[in-house]
Parts: sequence; C-alpha cells; structure tokens
Amino acid sequence: MPSKQDNKLKLLWLQGVTCNGNTHSFLNLQNIEQLLNKFEILYIPAFSTNYTIDKIVKCSLDCDILIFEGAYDPFMKRAGVNLKELLFHYMKDSKQIIALGSCASFGGVFKESAPDRITGLLFNENTLTTTFLDYKDKIINLSGCPIHPEWLAYVLNMLLKNINIELDDLYRPIELYSTLAHHGCTRNEYFEWKIDAKKFGLKEGCLFYKQGCRAPMTHSSCNKILWNDESSKTRVGTPCFGCTEPDFPRDNLFQTKTNMSIPQDIPVGVPKRSYLTMAGIAKTFHIKRLEGKLIDYKTDS
Amino acid sequence: MITKQILENIEGEASVHFKIKDGLVDFSTISFPHFRGIETILEGKNILDALVITPRVCGICGHAHLMATTRAIEDAYKNMGVDFSLSDKSKKIREFTLIMETIQNHFKWLYMVMMPEIAKLTTNEIPYKPLKGAFASSIASKAIAVFGGQWPHSSYMIPGGITCDPTNIDIIKAQSYVEELIEFFQKESLGIELEKFLSMQTCKEFNELDSDISILERALISADMQNKGFAYDRFLIMGEHNFTKASKVNHTRVFSVDSKYISVVNSYSPREITYAKNALYKDDYYETGSLARMMSISFPMVRNIHRRYKDSAYSRVMARVFEIGYLLNHSLKLLDNISISEDSIISLPDVKNLTSTGIGIVEAPRGPLIHKVEVEQGIIKNYTIITPTQFNIGSSTPTKLTPVQLSMKATTQKEALFIFRTFDVCSVCTTH
Repeated sequence: MPSKQDNKLKLLWLQGVTCNGNTHSFLNLQNIEQLLNKFEILYIPAFSTNYTIDKIVKCSLDCDILIFEGAYDPFMKRAGVNLKELLFHYMKDSKQIIALGSCASFGGVFKESAPDRITGLLFNENTLTTTFLDYKDKIINLSGCPIHPEWLAYVLNMLLKNINIELDDLYRPIELYSTLAHHGCTRNEYFEWKIDAKKFGLKEGCLFYKQGCRAPMTHSSCNKILWNDESSKTRVGTPCFGCTEPDFPRDNLFQTKTNMSIPQDIPVGVPKRSYLTMAGIAKTFHIKRLEGKLIDYKTDS
Repeated sequence: MITKQILENIEGEASVHFKIKDGLVDFSTISFPHFRGIETILEGKNILDALVITPRVCGICGHAHLMATTRAIEDAYKNMGVDFSLSDKSKKIREFTLIMETIQNHFKWLYMVMMPEIAKLTTNEIPYKPLKGAFASSIASKAIAVFGGQWPHSSYMIPGGITCDPTNIDIIKAQSYVEELIEFFQKESLGIELEKFLSMQTCKEFNELDSDISILERALISADMQNKGFAYDRFLIMGEHNFTKASKVNHTRVFSVDSKYISVVNSYSPREITYAKNALYKDDYYETGSLARMMSISFPMVRNIHRRYKDSAYSRVMARVFEIGYLLNHSLKLLDNISISEDSIISLPDVKNLTSTGIGIVEAPRGPLIHKVEVEQGIIKNYTIITPTQFNIGSSTPTKLTPVQLSMKATTQKEALFIFRTFDVCSVCTTH
C-alpha cells in the first residue's frame, strides 16, 4: 500500500551562483515547518535532508518541483558535476521549476561578474535565453533580491492545490507582481503632492524625486505583504532599488536621474505629459501639514 | 591515504582533503570552489551603490557587510579631513541591528548545524529540530526590520547615520521582539532564566538542567570535545563595538591591535582549485568569533570554561551559546537609552567630492569583517573584502597550519568534520 510520503510532491532545491539570501529569507517564513511537511524534501542546501549532495549529483532521482536559487553559470559545478547537466536531468521530469530570486530570474547582481556568460535560468535580463527554452512552460520566475518568503509559500501552496498560476510577460505570478512597490507605501501622500524628502533619515517626504526610489516603476508587493511581517525599505526611509526588475542592479542607486528637475523615469503606464501636468499643478499648492515635521518632540525622551 | 569530504549545511560549499595516518588526521587542506567576484563588480560604480551590493555577499551576515561598507566610506570622509560624529541614536540602532543579525546566525548554527552534527559523534539522544533555530532567527530578523525595513539585504545604514526615523512605537516593538527572543531562549533552549544562565560559575551546573543546551553540553563531553579541537589559543577581535573589545588575546592576556598588521596570503590547496585566501595578523594565524570576543571581555563563565578546557571545540561551542545570552541582554540596554529626537543622519559632503581611501571593520558573527575602499570623485577604484572565515579556515602548508587545520590534527576524520563546523563556516563570504 502506498504510504502518505509516496503521495507527496518531491521537492529539490539547487543553487547556482548565489549568496544564499533567498534561502535565509525563506527560513523567516513563520509556518515553514507545516509547509515543508506537505512535501517530500529531497534536498535543501541549508539543512540535512533525505539525500546528500553527493547522491543528488548522481542524477538517479527525479523531482516534481525544482527550485533553482542563484544565477546560471554554464562553467559552474556542484560537487564536481556540471550544473547544466544537473539542471537538464531534474528539469526533464519536473512538473514545475521555480527560478528563485533575481539572480535565477534575470541574472541579478552576480551576472555582473561575467556578463557574457552568467544569466538567469530562462532570461538574460529581459531577453529569453536558449539553453533551457524547451522547459519554458514549466518555469516560474520569482524575482526579488531576495524573494519575500510569502511569495515562495504562495507558489508552493498553489502547486499543492493544483491551481493554475497566471504569469506576466517575464514569467512572474501576476498575483504578486501586478502591483508596484509604491502601492501601500506610507509616503504616498508626499508623492501625491510632490513633496520630496529633504534628506535621508526623515519620516517626511517622498524618496522618488531625489533619493533614487524606484517603487513607482517596480513590480512587487513589498508594501502590501510587509517584510518580516513588519516593514519595508521605503517605510524606513530607504529607497526601493527595483530589485524585482530585470535591470537590477542599476547604477547610482541612491540618486534620481532627472532632466530639468523632472525624474527621467516616471510611474509605470503614466503618459509623461499627464504626469507633468499633474505634477505641475500639485507643486503650486503649499500644504503646511505636509511641509513641516510630522512630530515635533517637545522634550527629549 | 587521502580522502575528500564535501561539506554541506554550511553557507555555500567547501571541501576538505584529509591525509589520514594510523586512522587519524595527519594533515588537511580546505578548498572553496565557487567564486563570485563582488570586488570586481564594485569597481567603477558609485561608492554609495556598495551599500546595496555588499550585503549581497552573504545571505546570513549581509548586515555586517552593510555596516563594514558604511564604516569604510565614513573613514574615507574622515581621511579626507571631513570632521563629523554620528548621533548617539544612529550608533545605538546600528549596533542593535548588527547584534540581532549575530543572534539570528547563532540560533541557526546551533539548531541547524551543531545539534545534528554532534548527534553523529555520540550515542546520546539528540532531538532533531533544525527549524526551531529558524523560528528564533526569524524573531531576530523582525527586530532588524523595525529599523532596517527588511532582513536579509537591508541598506538602511548609510554614511552619516541611518535612513529610518523611528518613533517610540518602533523602539517598543523592537524591545518586545527581544523579550520574545529571551523568552524563547529561556524556555526552548536553556531551561532556566537568562540571568541565572549568565551568572553560571561552573560547567557542573549544566548537570542540573534538562534542556537543549544541557543535551548539547553532555553530548560534547561524551564526544570528548573538551579534549579536542585545540587551535593556537590566541584570538583576534578587530571591530570597534561596545559589546566586545578590539584586541588580541594570547591565552588570557589582552593586547591592543592595529588593522595595519592584517595581511592575506594565497591558500595552499594542491588537490582542488580554491578561491579563498588566508588572513593573518602580524604574520600569525588567530582564531576569531564568539570565543575570541567573550575572552576579550573576560566573560566569567567563558573564562572558567577556557581555564579548564582551553580553546577546545567544547569551549568554542559553549562560548557561542553564552554569547547569545550576553548579546540579548546587551541589546535591551541599547534600546533603553535612545533619544528619539536626535538626528538620524549627519549630512556629509556630496559623494562626488569624495577622493580618498577608507577602511571599515565590523565584528560579524564569525569575527572581524574588513572592507577597504579606494574612491576617486565618488567612484570605486578598488574594493577589498577580508572575511572572518579567512582567519579561521585558511588552508596552509604543514609548516604553518591555520587554526582549523591545527584543530583537526590527530583526530578521527569524523571528529575533524565536527570540529571544522565549530568555527561556523561561511563559504559564500570567503569566496566573495
């Protein structure tokens, strides 16, 4: 009689060129144990699992779900075996492949060390690559540097429930990437009235105009599904660096590129003329509440 | 006989080549096979971009990299003659989030590495609960996110201070996460109150406990780890913080240090390609990390353990357990005295005018993390990173062994693999 274990989806986690950031982000998931118990875990690099890497690289097993973390380097080996060979073997029979993080999705930070060679699993920035193209219908990109643990939990739960995951043009789940990092930002009122942050380290002001914030141009749910159940970059005064997009990391991350004091890149889908008109009008108003400090501590606490 | 062992469940991948003689390790070499080239990636970029790139060196201690970058840029400003001092608030908050990352690291190491690995050396029953460590770590990460927005890969420390401007609501939230962690540590790990644990005088007191920590302690003794795993009994602490003392410790004597004496040499790894380099201080190898830090401040129980068991694997492991408790206590004190109305940031001259060199040194979970920058008009000319694992887990010739090579000598291969992990290996940092 088949055991319960036999009915579970078999999950395998392999790594390319990585910092392990997605692993550590996923380990923050509050119900990680319950979630992982629903799968037969063949191998996760962070802790002891059913098989060792020596066994995994023998390519005698197969998996249902393959998670690939890190950028793809065709020269790379895992435990002495070519990564390409490993990936082809496990991709062949898998039901779903998750490119985890921006390095696996588009190349990310580590692409920059060898731009001619290192790519994402299916994309080189925003261009489809050919190596694993035959498996494109199985691949889901979960971009982000790192991914939010709930994003991976969402995909794994959808696979458990056997519900189709709709993807955008960059193979990312639309339920996670249809919104912008800007959605839910606590500084939105300053954005509406075009009031910029005078410097870093303030509660007040929008970081889009001077400090390089990419939130209005970045598809993610960072201000909707908060990080560590707690906060987000923009909520603590750090600009969004656009880490879920294929062009991450851009240059001059703490500075907004402007033309005649107008940000060069404007919010996704907004016609430039409309934006300029709206911004021009908003700037003519002076709203005292938004120009001063939110809290003026009378006494030192 | 030469055997090769690939190490898993560490940060990244490493392999150890053992030369076995009469059943014991006669010599070993270590290789780190994966290179990522962060230093090259940084060249030509705006120096502020390093605040985003260097945390991506490492998923488990990226926050320490962020602080090292921030300190290196601030040092470059100072070397150019810009005089400034950080607000007390920003210094305390930086210190707090750094400590939380170390606690996050230690909990994972304890439950995901140490407990399962010691089980291989003893017949004692060891519970296998790796994700218990992840749960504790996730609470520490929440405390970081209160100020840093997220963990991993926050970039909230910037030259001159921090990007956040917290309210008392945030401070109280962070305090409550630390209290939750203390509660977890007492109930799930120690089996006694934190205060009682920190005032322990002798190892005998572990006998009265029935908890994860006492199980670990008994297993270490049963595996004879108090008599194995010795390195040079000299320690190095380089980062300036208020929870430790930048110093070198020879046995128990504490001396001052200067970063100019740090050097790196190529690794000796004849059997496999390695991308790691060994780090030395005044041409000698030193052990870094929790045991070093706890020795530098003469933490009573760690000094007692050291008096009895020197720098054995036992001492190395238990020093880390005590450091968790010590840092939890310390972090609460940090949050107790924050002046909320102070500035979060001191404005510095435009980075475009920065032409200088600087060094940033931080005590990361595994020891001194060193970033050196050379900047010309705000652009990175050169960036050098030296990581703690390069001090502990270098690979050298038999005439001058590194701490890890010495500590594995004359043990069985099985014991050696455990001892290797007592240093807490970070391969991804090492081959940055």
